[in-house]
Amino acid sequence: MVNSDGQLFTIEGVAAGLIMLFSAYLVVSATSIYTPGDTHISDMQLEQLGSDALRMMNTPNTTATTGESLLQNITKNNDGVRFKETFLTFCNSTTGGSYDNLQISADLFYRDTLTNSVKQFHFAHSRNLTGGEHAVRVTGWVHLDLTGGGSPLSVAAPGIDPRVQAGLMEVLLWRD
Amino acid sequence: MARLNDDAQWIVLMGFIVSFSLFFLAIVLNQSTVVGQTTAEGVLEFPKNDIRDVRYEVLACSDLSSAVWGEVQKDMTSIAMDRKNAIVTFNITSAPPGSTFKNIFDIHYNNGVTAYNETANY
Repeated sequence: MVNSDGQLFTIEGVAAGLIMLFSAYLVVSATSIYTPGDTHISDMQLEQLGSDALRMMNTPNTTATTGESLLQNITKNNDGVRFKETFLTFCNSTTGGSYDNLQISADLFYRDTLTNSVKQFHFAHSRNLTGGEHAVRVTGWVHLDLTGGGSPLSVAAPGIDPRVQAGLMEVLLWRD
Repeated sequence: MARLNDDAQWIVLMGFIVSFSLFFLAIVLNQSTVVGQTTAEGVLEFPKNDIRDVRYEVLACSDLSSAVWGEVQKDMTSIAMDRKNAIVTFNITSAPPGSTFKNIFDIHYNNGVTAYNETANY
């Protein structure tokens, strides 16, 4: 009974089976199209980059007599332009010559003791948010000493208390 | 083909093998987009920077009186709950006399996925 006849039949049968299986796989997997954006790898990289930039800005320069970090200084002086420029320089610098194309929008959150509510103050943006951006959010606590209430931030931000407080700088970061 | 002419079976077999390796390579290429997804999601979900940031801010309260850092703590608790969906509390007590440290910090962080509790002497 056992002989070498029908080898091609066997091969064709196996091949046909595999082709059917593969077609079924293609049809089933076609319902979900997976793009590199779905894997969140670029989001992760962007968030790390933003967090690092914010941390760099919030690290005090030891040579400064006040011991104040750049972020504290900028926030207190309500200097949105300087914040934008510094943050984007940190984020957009590459080892090559050309700059990257990241954009930011930053808000400061603080607690108003009078109403015991969290308030939002728009701090800076390099481009208007339209809602179509795929932005990641990075945050950093800012230690603010607004005692006396004379700083530019106290004047600009509605309801901010003249005291030592912690504010949350929230930056939306996206690649344009 | 079979029975009609039994020549060149090896050539036909090789043809099948080559075409199926192409299919296989296509699947491998297709799967390459998802490489690193689990890693990226793991990194995104773990609030490393949040915890470090909370520590940094709490330790900045080192020289403040209890009335002042009490307000800072209320700030952090409210804002963290409002913006980050995380519970943040801390307590600062003076180190016992004779200790080499100045303060003892109790720091608590919990965002529902990751909990972090620390007692730090500084």
